[in-house]
Amino acid sequence: MDSIIKSFSDAIYYNLIREQRYMQFIQGLGISLQLTLYAAVLGTLIGLFLALAKLGRIKWLESLATLYVDIIRGTPAVVQLVLIYYAILGSSSLPKIVVASVAFGINSGAYVCELIRAGILAVDRGQMEAARSLGFSYSHSMLYIIIPQAIKNILPALANEFIVLLKETAIAGYIALDDLTRAGNIVRGRTFDAYTPFIVVALIYLYITTILTLMLNKLEGRLRESD
Amino acid sequence: MIEVVNLHKYFGKLEVLKGVNTSIEKQEMVCVIGASGSGKSTFLRCLNLLEEPTDGEIIIDGIPLVEQRKDINHLRQKVGMVFQQFNLFPHMTVMENITLAPIKLKGATKAEARKKAKDLLYKVGLPDKDNEYPNRLSGGQKQRVAIARALAMDPEVMLFDEPTSALDPEMVGEVLNVMKQLAKEGMTMVVVTHEMGFAKEVGDRIMFMDEGIIFEEGPPQDLFNNPKKERTREFLGKIL
Repeated sequence: MDSIIKSFSDAIYYNLIREQRYMQFIQGLGISLQLTLYAAVLGTLIGLFLALAKLGRIKWLESLATLYVDIIRGTPAVVQLVLIYYAILGSSSLPKIVVASVAFGINSGAYVCELIRAGILAVDRGQMEAARSLGFSYSHSMLYIIIPQAIKNILPALANEFIVLLKETAIAGYIALDDLTRAGNIVRGRTFDAYTPFIVVALIYLYITTILTLMLNKLEGRLRESD
Repeated sequence: MIEVVNLHKYFGKLEVLKGVNTSIEKQEMVCVIGASGSGKSTFLRCLNLLEEPTDGEIIIDGIPLVEQRKDINHLRQKVGMVFQQFNLFPHMTVMENITLAPIKLKGATKAEARKKAKDLLYKVGLPDKDNEYPNRLSGGQKQRVAIARALAMDPEVMLFDEPTSALDPEMVGEVLNVMKQLAKEGMTMVVVTHEMGFAKEVGDRIMFMDEGIIFEEGPPQDLFNNPKKERTREFLGKIL
C-alpha cells in the first residue's frame, strides 16, 4: 500500500510539480481554449456564409459551397492543418496560433454549414409562404421570420460542434503549436513517464467538455421552455 | 378586379391547371369547390404568385402578369392570404404577428400599427389576446389572428385556402362568422372551401373545379340546386 502511494506521489511530483511542469499544462490549456474560440468564431462565419450560399439561388455560389464542404469533410483535419501551415500560410511570419485558428475555422465551417442549413430547412415551409404572402422579400422573410426560428434549432447543435472542436484541436501539435496535448507530450519527453502526463491531459479535456456539456444542457432546456 | 385568361400550371410533367378562365369583380365573394386534386388550391396560389403560372395571363387591377413579376412583393401586399395551417409566426406575439408587415413594409409607426391591430383583433373577436403567443391559442383563434394579420396590410383581395379544414368542428363556426362579416363589408374574396353550407349562404358565385378547369360556375342557387353538368351533380351528390 505504501509503495503505491509513494509511486503515485512521485508521479505527481515529477510530472506536475518539478520545474513547475504544471505550468506547461496550464499554458497548453490556454492555447487550446483560445484556438477553439477563434476557430469557432471563424467557423460560424464561414458556415453561415456557406449555408446561405447553398440555400440561395445563385447557381455558381451554390456549387462552390458544395465543393468546399465536400473537400473539407472528405479529407482528414490533420492533413488540412499541415497543408495550410506549410503550403499556404507557413511562408509568412504569422504566429502559429493564427495559422491553426484559420485551419480549424476553415474545417469547422464545413460542418457548421450543414448544421445551419439543416436548422433553416427544419423551419416549416408555410412560414416562408406566409411571410412572402404578406409582401416580404425573400431576404427579409429569412431575416425576420425564418432565421429567428432556425436559431432555436441550430444553437444546441452548434454548441455541440464547439465541444467537438475543442477535442479536434488536439492535433495542433502537428505544426508545433504548444496546445494542451502537446504539453503532455513535452512533459513525457522530460520524465519518460508515458501515462501520467496524458492522464492529466485527458482529465483536463474531460473536465472542460463536461462543463461545456452541462452548459449546453441548460441552454437546451431554456430553448425548450420558450417553445 | 382579377382577370384570369387560359391559366396553365405544370408541376414537372403533371398538368394541374389546364386552362382556367374567369374574372372576379370588385366586392365579389367567390367560393371555389371541388374534389381534392382538382387544382383549386393551385389556382388560388397562382393568384398571388405563390405558384408561378406556366402559361396564361392574370390581370390584377389592370396590371398584367409580366408587370406583376417585376414587383411581386408589391402585388402581394394587395392580395392577402389565409392558409389552411394558419402559419402564424410562432416566435412572435399576436400583436407582433399583425404589426410586423405594416411596420416593415408600409412604413407605419409602431403606434399606428398597434392601434390598427387592436381594432382588427376586436373585429375578429379576440380583443384581449394581443400579448399571447400563437401556441397558446386554439385553432380557431389562430385562424382569426391569421385573418387579422392579412387584413392589417389593407389588401384589396383576400384569398382563403381551405381556412377551416384544419380546425376541430366546434371551431369552424367562429372562423366562418368572421369571413361572413368580411364579405358583408364588401371585401373581395376568393375562398377555397369544403363548407358547402357556408358557400351557399355567403357566396356570390360558386366555382366548381374539376380536372384542372372551372367545370361549372354560377350563383349558389343555380349551382347547388340545378347543376347543369353531370360531373357537378355527381360531386354535389357525394358531399351534400
